Order: sequence, then C-alpha cells, then structure tokens
Amino acid sequence: MDVQGLQMTQMPQPAAPTPGVFKRNPPIAGEAEAIEAAKNGDAEAFSKLYALHKRRVYTLCLRMLGNVSEAEDMTQEAFLHLFRKIGSFRGESAFSTWLHRLTVNLVLMHLRKKGLNLVSLEETINPSEEDAPKRDFGSRDLALTGSVDRVALERAVASLPPGYRMVFVLHDVEGFEHNEIATMLECSTGNSKSQLHKARLKLRELLRQPEPAAQPNGLKEVAV
Amino acid sequence: MTEFKSLDFDTMTTADFEQYLPEFFANGDGHVSTDPRLQTFLKNNPDCAALVRDLEAIADQARSLFEPTEDQDPSDTVWSNIQDKLKHGVSGEDDFPIPLTV
Repeated sequence: MDVQGLQMTQMPQPAAPTPGVFKRNPPIAGEAEAIEAAKNGDAEAFSKLYALHKRRVYTLCLRMLGNVSEAEDMTQEAFLHLFRKIGSFRGESAFSTWLHRLTVNLVLMHLRKKGLNLVSLEETINPSEEDAPKRDFGSRDLALTGSVDRVALERAVASLPPGYRMVFVLHDVEGFEHNEIATMLECSTGNSKSQLHKARLKLRELLRQPEPAAQPNGLKEVAV
Repeated sequence: MTEFKSLDFDTMTTADFEQYLPEFFANGDGHVSTDPRLQTFLKNNPDCAALVRDLEAIADQARSLFEPTEDQDPSDTVWSNIQDKLKHGVSGEDDFPIPLTV
C-alpha cells in the first residue's frame, strides 16, 4: 500500500522513497539481517533495530513536537507500530526512510488527534504576525558571517513557530520533497515552499540575534 | 515555472526577487547563488546576494542536523515501556504478526 497521505481512520504505510531521501539513508551494516530476523519475531533483532534507530526517531519526534514527554511517547508508538508493520517492509527503500515516514505520519496523526484537523493545520502553518519573519532582507550589515553553528541552529529551530518548524524539519533536515510534505500536511505544494522560505527567513533573523544565556541542552522543550 | 517566462531576471525588482525567491530555491538543486539566470541580478543587488548566501548556509547546515548527536537519546523508560507492552501483547490496528516477547 503506497499511501503517503494521513487519514484519521487509517494509519498509512510508509510509501516508496524518493531518491533524495534514499541518498541520505545508506544501509547500515547488519541492519538487513536484523530486519529479516525481526520479521520472524526475533526479539534480539528488534532490540538491535531499536538501538540503531532510536536516536534518529526520537530526535525527529522532538523536533516536530518540541516537547520531550510527547517525543518519547511518540518514539515508543513508532517502534511499537514498527513491530506490527515490519512484515510489510519490502526492502524497496532504505529502512530508515521507511521508518522515518512511518514516524512522521504517526506524529501528524497525533497532532491531528490533539485538535489540529485538516483545516486548522493549514491555519496553524501560518503563524501570527509577531512570529512572522521581518521583511528586512536588504539589511546587509545584519547578514550572517558565512557559517551557521550547529548548536545555534538547533536552538533556533526549536524556537520556530510550530508550522514553520514542521516544514523546515521535514524538508531541510529530513529531506522530504515539497510534494511529499504537501501530501503529509494536506496543504498545497506552494504553501510548503512558502512556509519553508519563511522558516529560513525566521531562522536567519533568530541566528543574527545575540546568543541567549547558555542552556544545558541543545534541544529545549517548546510549547506548541 | 510558467510565471518565470515573462520575468526578466536581469532587470527584475527586488520585490519581484522576493516574490519568486521561494520558487528559485524550490527549483533546481536549491542553490540560488549558482543559478546562471540570476548572476547579473545578484551582482547588481549585493543585499539580495547576502540574503541568498545566508539562506543557503542555513539550509546546508540543516542537513547536518539529520545525524543526531550522542546526547539526543530517548530515556531508558521508552525502551522499558516498549518491552512491557510487547510482553503483554500489542493491540494493533491490523493483524500483523507480533512477537510475544522482546
């Protein structure tokens, strides 16, 4: 079943990958064997798959949700769902691509169950005027110095409005294409492009601001 | 893009550039600064060129976030909960086979 969209009544299967995503998910040594063993109910194999992928899945959830507790809950759900669905993994895509898509769909379903229905999600994508990036792209003196620090960027992404953050993480971090994001978020492709652009502008604005007081962790909880 | 057909890349205004920038990024490999059609405009509009460089730097660094750092693990409770749920059977939305224990 190659369903990319999200339905409230049915958990979609991860669809076939795009080449761009596949490039970023090279096979991991021993993974193929673990997948086959897990399909046959091998507990150790599933444990290995969890160890191999827990960090990426958790980080994806945390970036999408901005909340540690919810991110851990969704990580748990993603792996439980993986356990149920692994028999349907055909190996036509990178396993991590398949798992990430499954995770994204679960998180989006979770958000919709929290009240973000198809219409309101589109509205949520558009933040308030206060959150919107300022239209000051002509300010050369405020330009970045040519490099972007990873920690600073992580922090800035965490402070993005939820709609901006969602599109930015899916496109620029996870490598999904605009048409895929549009399907997943049930918005137009143009909307995805527009929101990504606004997200980058907002990040530029945030990265040009003075560093805040040191924080112990790179990822902080952000209310959504 | 259809809209680009009537657009003169060399003489477009900064407002035009701002309007079409999301499309410029979405087309091709996402690197606007190397788009041959935009070289004259960017040369004549250094502020726009600086903006493009910044947005490209952000997008480039974002790719590095794909690989999490070592301190980005879920707590051990997550795995414990998964094990517990699997031991007691996972109620799924379908009939995929579920191993009884982990």
